[in-house]
Amino acid sequence: MADHRRTLALTAVLSALIVVSTVAAPMVSARPAHEIPVSEVSTADLAEPDADGWEEVPASDVPLSSAPSSVPNADDTSIETVDVQAARTDQRLYVRLEWQDATRDMNASATREFADAVAVQFPVNTSSRPPIAMGGPDNRVNVWYWSGSTGTQELLAGGAGSTTPFQNPTVQANTSHSGTGGNATWTVVYSRQLDASSENRTDLRTDGDLDVAFAVWNGSNGERSGQKAVSEWHYYPFSGGPQGPPYETLLWTLAGIAIVAVVGVTSFGIYRTRGAE
Amino acid sequence: MSTDQQDDQGEEDTLVNVADGVDHQVAMVMDLNKCIGCQTCTIACKNLWTEDGGSEYMYWNNVETKPGEGYPRGWEDSGGGWESGEHSDRSPGEIPDEEDYGRAWEFNHEEIMYEGSDEPLRPRDGAEWGPNWDEDQGAGEYPNSYYFYLPRICNHCTHPSCVEACPRSALYKRQEDGIVLVDQDRCRGYRYCVEGCPYKKVYYNTVSKKSEKCIFCYPRIEGEGPDGETFAPACAEECPPQLRLVGFLDDEEGPIHKLVNEYEVALPLHPEFRTQPNVYYIPPFAPGQHTEDGETVDIDRIPRQYLRNLFGDGVDEALDTIDAHRQRVRQGGDSELMELLQDKNPAKQYRLEVFDDE
Repeated sequence: MADHRRTLALTAVLSALIVVSTVAAPMVSARPAHEIPVSEVSTADLAEPDADGWEEVPASDVPLSSAPSSVPNADDTSIETVDVQAARTDQRLYVRLEWQDATRDMNASATREFADAVAVQFPVNTSSRPPIAMGGPDNRVNVWYWSGSTGTQELLAGGAGSTTPFQNPTVQANTSHSGTGGNATWTVVYSRQLDASSENRTDLRTDGDLDVAFAVWNGSNGERSGQKAVSEWHYYPFSGGPQGPPYETLLWTLAGIAIVAVVGVTSFGIYRTRGAE
Repeated sequence: MSTDQQDDQGEEDTLVNVADGVDHQVAMVMDLNKCIGCQTCTIACKNLWTEDGGSEYMYWNNVETKPGEGYPRGWEDSGGGWESGEHSDRSPGEIPDEEDYGRAWEFNHEEIMYEGSDEPLRPRDGAEWGPNWDEDQGAGEYPNSYYFYLPRICNHCTHPSCVEACPRSALYKRQEDGIVLVDQDRCRGYRYCVEGCPYKKVYYNTVSKKSEKCIFCYPRIEGEGPDGETFAPACAEECPPQLRLVGFLDDEEGPIHKLVNEYEVALPLHPEFRTQPNVYYIPPFAPGQHTEDGETVDIDRIPRQYLRNLFGDGVDEALDTIDAHRQRVRQGGDSELMELLQDKNPAKQYRLEVFDDE
């Protein structure tokens, strides 16, 4: 009998420990999968790609895949991930993007030459999420675009093919391409005043979550237009605290229950076997 | 070439198939038997439209020797156009590179004019290809070698694959006359039009970073000149042998309609691209082959299959029709077709104001 009690007690303790650890772990690290953290900073040394201020800002690896598009070779894209950092002062939002690209394609000055490019897309109306591919006619997107050949552009789009540049862009971009060969990386820092200076520009002073998506073009692979590597919609949690669906917590809880159940059934089996002896 | 647009909305009956949404279709007929390869059309066009930076390499109008590589080199094998006559799937195409178009060469003017060099005037280096590089080379062997000249502009097609290729609808076919244009405000330099045109008649401006093409001299045909007069495109008006007829395909009283739809002697270039060009060609005749003794024999000098490859299977009938009418006139008979092909009256050659009152 003493053996049985000891086994039972051990099982109970083990189970309790597992439950505690599985529930506690995600409390510490959980971040909804599509959330990109934004550091709120008071002073900004963030305008340049290699500014010291970026060392304190957490980075997210955002996976990219070929955009669905009707242009030829739309599924032939070469950039698979972009590192995204974001920081907000009480005046400006800074977004830093970094990705690997062995070639620095800065020109479109020959008939077959295309430049590297990168874009950040926001809903014009932050209260609803537009269609990911350049928004829709009733739900437009504001795009910050930089390419090696055109420089920075601020764009408005209401569906594929409708992209139109603003006359007076309010977005700044600073860029650098460093390293060599396969380790060479582009870094681009965009920034803009939080206030929307005119209609059809995203208000970055929003208190709600701000949807955001990313696109990268590798010019030497002939990428342009809809032939681009794009992310899904992500969001900046301007409303404070994780708001997205708590997938991670849910998964950990399920895993915990499963482990407890397995330990319980195993212990019960051992107990029965010993009891039968 | 005709008939599928019938009277379905009480409109005037017409045999002419113009594109949906287009009122009338400008068209041109070029008689290849008159072309002397002088390039006056090429220069007239260049002086008007492609002298600025970034367009040096462009010839919206070019004249190439056939058989030959053409301009840009190998354009006939560069893809583009449609997979089928349903015009739903486009064939993939390629963007020609600078070497295929031919770079603008640097010459040794400086040395000769200012430094007293007695070298001949010639390109400095890198002159290994250019537009018309294979001029007059042709094909065949003495005494039966052959060639002819092929002037080319944008075909302002009824089913333009360049228009369809643009994801931004920057290219469009204008309603009043079917001229295909590139909206310079919409264009973002993606060049899908360049690769999508099977004739390679859309060009990328390397300075403005936008695409450009033949505009059928629309300001001239609209009478936008100093005196408000209407003029045919410069390539047509400046042509020394006046080999071009300009008007509307659906002007049923005009020579173009008669040559294309009635006599069927004016044929589109490479109809298998299925874009339905609105520039048509009277196919070339050549003397029969010669024996080694200099006797003319009744064998085509220009292989008929070569002409079929260029102008489609209609070329046999077109040449037969023209031949029959020539015989008739030789024997003292009358032929409207021969008159149309020999007309020297500009008012008949250029019928651009027939629909002005609409």
